[in-house]
Amino acid sequence: MSREEYQVPATGSANTFGGGSFNVPAPRDYAGEGGGVMHYMCGDCAVRVPLEKGAPIRCQKCGARVLYKERTKRMVQFEAR
Amino acid sequence: MPHKPPTKEELERRKIVGIRDEIITDVTSTDFPGHYPGESHVWDIEEFRQGVRVEFHQNDPLEASFSLIGVDASIANAFRRIMIADIPTLAIETVFINNNTSVIQDEVLAHRLGLIPFQGGHEGLHKFLKWWRKPTDESEVNSSYYDFNTVSLRLEVACTHNDQAAPGETDPTKLYKHAHVYARDIEFCPVGRQDRYFSGADAIAPVNPDILIAKLRPGQEINLSMHMHKGVGSDHAKFSPVATASYRLLPTIDITRPILGADAAKFAKCFPPGVIGLQKVTRTEAAQTGSGYEGHEGEVRAVVEDPMRDTVSRECLRHPEFKDKVKLGRKRDHFIYLVESTGQWHSDAIFLESVTHLKKRAMDLEKQVINMVR
Ligand SMILES: [Zn+2]
Repeated sequence: MSREEYQVPATGSANTFGGGSFNVPAPRDYAGEGGGVMHYMCGDCAVRVPLEKGAPIRCQKCGARVLYKERTKRMVQFEAR
Repeated sequence: MPHKPPTKEELERRKIVGIRDEIITDVTSTDFPGHYPGESHVWDIEEFRQGVRVEFHQNDPLEASFSLIGVDASIANAFRRIMIADIPTLAIETVFINNNTSVIQDEVLAHRLGLIPFQGGHEGLHKFLKWWRKPTDESEVNSSYYDFNTVSLRLEVACTHNDQAAPGETDPTKLYKHAHVYARDIEFCPVGRQDRYFSGADAIAPVNPDILIAKLRPGQEINLSMHMHKGVGSDHAKFSPVATASYRLLPTIDITRPILGADAAKFAKCFPPGVIGLQKVTRTEAAQTGSGYEGHEGEVRAVVEDPMRDTVSRECLRHPEFKDKVKLGRKRDHFIYLVESTGQWHSDAIFLESVTHLKKRAMDLEKQVINMVR
């Protein structure tokens, strides 16, 4: 086996090599979660808090005023190095 | 006066590196042309064939120990370096993180995943799987993944409360479900012909299923997929097929004058167990004049049993009672290898592969040299 054995893949033709290529997983679809409403995490009780534009920044469950932004819903790619 | 050819003893003596209490002598080899007047020492393939030997001491799938005898240090070291840096293995190279709400950061998690050693069917790993090269054109990357150059894995774990936990339970592994994420939670997703090579016992799986990847608490989740590619250790240590591949020279212990009685017991304690044995002086030995055993029949004497076990601590050289009675050394052309596989190759196959690799590289070089001269 040598490093030089790399074959140029045939773009678009999945079955050329009898196997089939596969793509990177598509990011999950999070659309349709209600336009205009943003969700935050309560800093005290970790509940998911929906907030509309202009609403007071406050947890509806415990009343804490520290809310955290949620993690991105997009897929993030990293090199395992 | 014509030059006398060296005796067999003299040739053996030239192979010994001297180890004294505060100095190491005769470090370099001298068997090359022009060193001894009247002696050729030109390298000869037939002579090399006669002298080279491999002896296995231990051969387990994950650990092999063997002696390579009759080669120069440059060759022995080449094998060692090839085993560490040039034998290809499959490892996680890219991590696609959909969600990670654990306390461990994405890049740290990706790095940890990359270092996990994996195993699988040998035919598939070493013959079916080929190199993956990142296309120079970014837009072509997504269509460069094939069943023969990429292995897909998935890790999907979410931590929840365990309703069956006993009241007052404090152990997080019992209190919650999936509080610990282990290497065994990684799922192999075969694509195309990979089913043929990696199914059943041959499936791609972590060698050590109990490697802890992350710890979770209820509400936290890890959801990611991974791509594995072939690589070599010179690129990144995660691709190295060995945990360690090392060698040492065979120690020699030469008792030049008898060590008897209580001294012999003390002498044996200067070495690891099994190196020095104690034997009774026989009648014939005691009867021999000039042997140093005269009148010591029945006393114990120190004899060298297994110098290979010696760590060459030089402890025996610290005691005045053994002064001028023992000579320590190492054999310059006897390399004791220890190869510890990470699980993707059999440990002995790693050494064989390194020999194949060096041969191939030598033939490549030969071609280049011929072209250069032309
Ligand atoms: Zn709250």
